[in-house]
Amino acid sequence: MSAAVAAAVRPARAPAAPGPRRHLEPVAPPRARRRVRPRLVHVVVVLGGVVGILLAQLGLSIAVADGAYRISSLQGQERELDRQEDALAERLESLASPQFLAANAEALGMVASAQMPYLDVASGAVSGAATAAGGAMPGNRITNVTTAGVPLVAADAGASTGTGAASATTASATSLEESGLTVVSGDASAAASGQDGGAGGTIPSPTTR
Amino acid sequence: MIDPRGTRRRLAVTIVAVFAIVLLLGVRLVDLQVVRASELREGADQLVRTSTVYGTRGSIVDANGLVLADSVQRFDITASPVHVDWNETTITRDGDEVDVPTSEAIAEIAAITGSDPRELEASLRDALAEDEAANFAYLVRTVPLEQFERVRDLRISWVYSEQHPARSYPKGAVAGNLVGFLGTDRPLAGAELYLDSCLDADDGTVTYAVGADGVALPGTRITTEPARDGGTVHLTIDADLQYVAQQILAVEGERLGADWATAWVVRVDDGHVMAAADWPSVDPNDLNALPVEDMGARSFTAPYEPGSIIKPFTFASLLDAGVVSVGEQLVVPGRYTEGLPAGKSITDAWVHGEMRWTAAGVLADSSNIGTSMLSTRLSAAERREALLGFGFGSPTAVDFQGEEPGTVRSLDSLDSITNVTQQFGQGMGATSAQVASAYQALGNGGVHMPLTLVEGCELPDGTVTDAPVAEGTRVVSESAADATVAVLEQVVSQGALSSRVDFPGYRVAAKTGTAEVAENGVYGDERIVSVAGLVPADDPEYAVVVTFAKPDTMRTSAAAAPAFEQLTEHVIKAFRIQPATEAGPTIPLTW
Repeated sequence: MSAAVAAAVRPARAPAAPGPRRHLEPVAPPRARRRVRPRLVHVVVVLGGVVGILLAQLGLSIAVADGAYRISSLQGQERELDRQEDALAERLESLASPQFLAANAEALGMVASAQMPYLDVASGAVSGAATAAGGAMPGNRITNVTTAGVPLVAADAGASTGTGAASATTASATSLEESGLTVVSGDASAAASGQDGGAGGTIPSPTTR
Repeated sequence: MIDPRGTRRRLAVTIVAVFAIVLLLGVRLVDLQVVRASELREGADQLVRTSTVYGTRGSIVDANGLVLADSVQRFDITASPVHVDWNETTITRDGDEVDVPTSEAIAEIAAITGSDPRELEASLRDALAEDEAANFAYLVRTVPLEQFERVRDLRISWVYSEQHPARSYPKGAVAGNLVGFLGTDRPLAGAELYLDSCLDADDGTVTYAVGADGVALPGTRITTEPARDGGTVHLTIDADLQYVAQQILAVEGERLGADWATAWVVRVDDGHVMAAADWPSVDPNDLNALPVEDMGARSFTAPYEPGSIIKPFTFASLLDAGVVSVGEQLVVPGRYTEGLPAGKSITDAWVHGEMRWTAAGVLADSSNIGTSMLSTRLSAAERREALLGFGFGSPTAVDFQGEEPGTVRSLDSLDSITNVTQQFGQGMGATSAQVASAYQALGNGGVHMPLTLVEGCELPDGTVTDAPVAEGTRVVSESAADATVAVLEQVVSQGALSSRVDFPGYRVAAKTGTAEVAENGVYGDERIVSVAGLVPADDPEYAVVVTFAKPDTMRTSAAAAPAFEQLTEHVIKAFRIQPATEAGPTIPLTW
């Protein structure tokens, strides 16, 4: 500052000496000063930006890589669940096989249904003849390896898992051979005689308990 | 103010720097691309994986969508023998890692997969014996998911697994003869083979890069070849009816001591096959259980001399030509010799003197002599044409794998006896499929529909191809066909079957057949018995044919009657056929 003061005091000697030129420099026009300060800001902003972008890129690639692991584990999970679904569907298809259903029905004491009569709603007439449900089932002869070893439903098991109605199932299953069959055939003969009698006729129905 | 020398210096420095960088990059490029190229490529290749994407072979389903054949996932348990520590192996039990003797670890795998631990150990040792550094051996092949998961959960370091697409037949032996089966790598029989073009899938491949830890790098997955799934084959078969038919055949076949049996149900309207049962039945899941000759579908591949069940077609063609009327009164002698070589004669199944039959009676009571007499009213060429018209002598429209055309002799190979006997089903050959298809024509007012087993092939994108042809050909006039059915109804109401079968409330038309079986060119004691019919007779909806070959206990056509009755009763129930509203006609059989 003292140099600047000196220059101001002795302006006439100033032009030849290099010292006063250096003295002049700090007193640059305000425009030039303003130009220096923004340059520094730009550099900071640009560098900061570059660093920021690099950091963001790093963060992103970490996130993407992390996502890849998640995707990989979720895909594994999806594959697992797909496989389970397939295995269960395969099992269901086997259990739905006609011979397995028939064998289960037989194990529950059911018999094959007989011919059914038709009721004409308009005229109330019964056509066709009712016959009793067929006797003993011959036992399944059609093999299925895929259901081998799968236990059949037992009549008693049905009673223990169900409630209310299940006890009726057991009752009909156990007594079907003795009482059930005779009741149905009794009704059937009544229907036949009713038809012989002429118009109307009756539909045979099993005694409901 | 700017110093030009300073500017030039800076420019020079910059240019030098740029050239230096370019040079550096150039050197690096040559180093990477040329000098270390193969080494780098090798390293990169190890990080690029190619894996197979399995296309799924299509399934075979019945008319109601019940799955008869399906592709399922199985797994091969593999191992890296070179990495086996024969003393101790770490396994995971209930989530805890424990060290057990390796033999125990092997025993554990064997227990889960139900295999023999000694075999597992042998496969490891064999692989090592062959190659000391063997890093691959199969332990157990095609295990189901549940077993695979339990083996995987053992977390044994040297145990690996592979996918192994397999085929399952969830309905077992139901329609097994039709569905066929696959061999280890290709279809071998039945629908699996002859519909392979629809079912077949193509495997694809994908490539992807993995990191050092084996995880796929995002964005590197490239499908090099897309997998293509196979189409679903929709059969016209009703699996439940098919089961009942097979069950009836099995029970009755055992009772009769038959060699084999077939049962057919064909929808009359469109010729769709509802059931085509063969006995002995094949379970495609378990092919070891049956001899090879029972594995095919005899219904299509085993022509036999059908016998009297062919008579209705002769009768219908005579009616169609107008040379016979149903009520025509005939005098039928006890033997037929006209045009035959000296000493040869055609007789009926029972000895009788001169009979006074109507034309209807000849058919209903199944007289060979009467049929021979009537058939000569048409020329040999016309008679042969009639049989060909009903579909005999050529494979059915199904064109099943290995289907046989049967035999209708050409005119110049017809001797004087076969010329006549062909009209009642001896000296000609037909398959069960052909007989069922011919009865369809009779029930359909004389219009023969192409026999159809496949409703279509449904591709994965939902389009359906191979839809059946719905156009029939007229064989005989509607009146001739209907009159023949009416006569066949007499067989059930007052003829041979009247005491054998009973369909209360329904009208059924049927014809029995007891054909002699020629063995080594001579007719012997063996018979093929069958009953073919139409239900209901008043407006036929289904044709039912039951055939038993070489029964031991009973050799008359009555043998097949119980099976026919049971199957027809089931058809009535299953398809809700309505009872007849009026009684059937009574046609006089004698005069």
